[in-house]
Amino acid sequence: MQDDIEFDEFCDPNNPRKIKYDDILAAAKRISGDVVKTASSKAHMSEKLGMDIYLKQEFMQYTGCFKERGVRNALTLLSDEQKKLGVISASTGNHGLSMSFHSTQMGIPCIIVMPIHAPITKVSKCEQFGAKLMLHGNNIAEAKRFAMGVSKEKKMRYINGYDHPNVIEGQGTIGIEIIEQIHGVDAVLVPVGGGSLVTGIAVAIKHLKPDTEVYGVQTEKTCSMVESFKKNERVAITIDSTIADGLAVNMVGVNTYYNLKGLLDKMVVVKEDWVARAIMHVVEEERFVVEGAAAVPIAAIMAGLFPNLKGKKVCCVISGGNIDTTILARALERGMAAEGRLVKFKVTVTDRPGGMAELCGLLSTVGVTLRDCIPERAWVKSDIFSCELKIIAETRGWDHTKELIEQVKKHYKDYFFPEMPDKQDKVPGARRGPCLAPNPVCMQK
Amino acid sequence: MERYDNSRPTIEYDPMCDSENPQKISFEDVSAAAYRIQSGIIKTPCVKSHMSSIYGMEIYLKNDFLQHTGSFKERGARNALLLLSPETKARGVISASLGNHSQGLSYHAQQLNVPTTVVMPNVAPIMKIENCRSYGANVVIHGHDMKEAKYHAMTLAKEKGLTYINGYDHPHIMAGQGTVGLEILEQVPDVDAVLVPVGGGGLLAGVATAIKHLKPHVLIYGVETEKCPSMETAMRNKEPTSVQIWSTLADGLAVPTVGYNAFFTVKNLIDKMITVNEDWLARAILRLVEQEKYVVEGGGAVCVAAIMAGLVPELANKKVVCILSGGNIDTTILGRCLERGLAAEQRLVKFKVTVSDRPGGIAELCKLLASLGVSIKDIMQERAWVYGDIFSVRVKVVCETRGPEHMAELRNVIMNTYKEWYFAREWDERRRPSTDSLDDVSH
Repeated sequence: MQDDIEFDEFCDPNNPRKIKYDDILAAAKRISGDVVKTASSKAHMSEKLGMDIYLKQEFMQYTGCFKERGVRNALTLLSDEQKKLGVISASTGNHGLSMSFHSTQMGIPCIIVMPIHAPITKVSKCEQFGAKLMLHGNNIAEAKRFAMGVSKEKKMRYINGYDHPNVIEGQGTIGIEIIEQIHGVDAVLVPVGGGSLVTGIAVAIKHLKPDTEVYGVQTEKTCSMVESFKKNERVAITIDSTIADGLAVNMVGVNTYYNLKGLLDKMVVVKEDWVARAIMHVVEEERFVVEGAAAVPIAAIMAGLFPNLKGKKVCCVISGGNIDTTILARALERGMAAEGRLVKFKVTVTDRPGGMAELCGLLSTVGVTLRDCIPERAWVKSDIFSCELKIIAETRGWDHTKELIEQVKKHYKDYFFPEMPDKQDKVPGARRGPCLAPNPVCMQK
Repeated sequence: MERYDNSRPTIEYDPMCDSENPQKISFEDVSAAAYRIQSGIIKTPCVKSHMSSIYGMEIYLKNDFLQHTGSFKERGARNALLLLSPETKARGVISASLGNHSQGLSYHAQQLNVPTTVVMPNVAPIMKIENCRSYGANVVIHGHDMKEAKYHAMTLAKEKGLTYINGYDHPHIMAGQGTVGLEILEQVPDVDAVLVPVGGGGLLAGVATAIKHLKPHVLIYGVETEKCPSMETAMRNKEPTSVQIWSTLADGLAVPTVGYNAFFTVKNLIDKMITVNEDWLARAILRLVEQEKYVVEGGGAVCVAAIMAGLVPELANKKVVCILSGGNIDTTILGRCLERGLAAEQRLVKFKVTVSDRPGGIAELCKLLASLGVSIKDIMQERAWVYGDIFSVRVKVVCETRGPEHMAELRNVIMNTYKEWYFAREWDERRRPSTDSLDDVSH
């Protein structure tokens, strides 16, 4: 009974579909004019990171993410009767948005199912684009079961956002554009969730220019593809909250896994902290807003996981820009903290008038901005007339922070600074911070 | 202001920006500049905005924040540097600027091997200072505001024989900025109106000269922030007048007196000047981040802010180009703009409510908010200043909602569940002019 409901003929483990270049080429012609042929611009960060980095700007699509290509392709290929009956899908994210937008454009009825606690903004956006929303289930798996049930009931076609062959072919059109736009590209880095993007791009690129390397990148919290390769079969992993929510797929697709084996050069895993820093760097240096999943390839380069690509032409697929504004603000803060530009420390000052003023005066002479100052009195062990201040301050960087530390040590007896690294990385822009551990694990395919 | 006017005239005198002898630039200057600088600057895209449908006009965004140093100032800087005579090149140049002009000048001077000194006041953002240093310029930090920095720069110029390059009024600079106008006409040939951010007036002068020569029917509007209305004041008084400027989000536009040459060029050329309230700036920055995925600084977002504030109703259904002049916004300020934008859109709500201090009081409030689909950002408790029942505590909550209707829903539920509550009422009052702020740091 369970299998019956969940059975999707296009994503059948017993009958995986092969993705062919010709289908991708056909998809390119089919969707041309309906999705944006995005630019590949050279990144300002290239020099700092020691390679020619090109950013494939898929966040410039209308709904802010590359998923439109696959969706448009799949919708266009539906038979006329199916178009009248409609489509359905379970998704809290970009796939849902693309479906809502394009199905409304094409006049196809569309239902999107989301779990009950889906983010507010995603729900309202899909509705705005014209789809019908149904909220069901505590997580995406339950929402999907419900959606498949409705699909059988109402004869609406279920479009799997990362595994439907037409969707994968649509994503592959990016590969064709990359080869056209970046002459002599040496490597392409692709974020991997369910696998449609990397599969489509790998098939296209390996056909057009086989010596170009294709790498898939995931975070340590969203490593379903990596685990599947390790165990040599598709495995399901549990996913907690992650900054790269676009990659949060428990089990990779049937077709994607089947096609990727033997095609990809390598899968790489990067730590989540680097993703927040990558988002911040892209904001500061490229002036683009990208979501966590899209920043993963850049995070991997910043973390020094691609030493073999130094001096080469590398294309990072910036898959989308739909980041929740609050998460963006938080990523910026975390990025600053990791680069030593946000410092947290405690110092005990006198509780008499003037104590806090003197500390603030000291901070201002060092040229440091005071963000937050929280006093604590009950748990202080020394002199009854003193008070411990927890300070959060903004500095220009590690050197400035060291200056601050020296000054505080000179003027106060009781202070506490968290662990600071003694030496900095040689790669500028790829600095470490107290919250980071040395980087991980590159997996072989 | 008086000090600026009466201080030793010889030091302040800049032969290229002379109030007694203002210069206009011509179309030929702009088109020559376009040819001259083309190999060194980026011909930025002019893309149709996703916001067009919301505001009932076809909005195009000229993305000049994508230049190498993040602002359009590079165009004028490169043009001016390429026009220096070999001796002046060898001696070097100097300028006083809060940011974008220094960066643009330093970057291209390094490329063209011209020694550069930039003087910045100590309120200049850290990132901009570091960037200029990394481009090889000699950075001098002096003064509390632009006037002091400029005075110091001109002193150094006379002492060391350096050429002072005014970042918004030098004719070569204005000609370079005008190349933006030429590109707009190429990229959006049937444009109806162009909105231009105005600080010192260099960009406005250049763009107006270029566009009005080729297509005089295209409307050119200058947009300023309420906290620094120098061009509007100049237009009213028929000459550049110094205005009191307040600390503003659009720090790139914080120039107290518009340029003499710039004013002379634009006074009979542009169609309208618009002033925008600062609150709209934060919202415009948020909108550009959320909808277009661009990071734009305050000064770059003024044009979009003007459209959002409904200040250009006559442009409905027309093709309007907004120049996004720069993206050099300090990361912390960006974070703050995002928050202010959310608050202005009523997606961030602040309220106080008195609950029971016994176990469960606050838990109940949290459960109530969760059932409404509201997420809590911050919760603070206050006990000392509460009147009434000794077992109660006043809780201040900052939370996130979907928008005004959701907030109204929240308000109703709180009103019906608790006896004592208070919602901040900013949105009911008539919007106050932003000059009512507490700070009056003049730059």
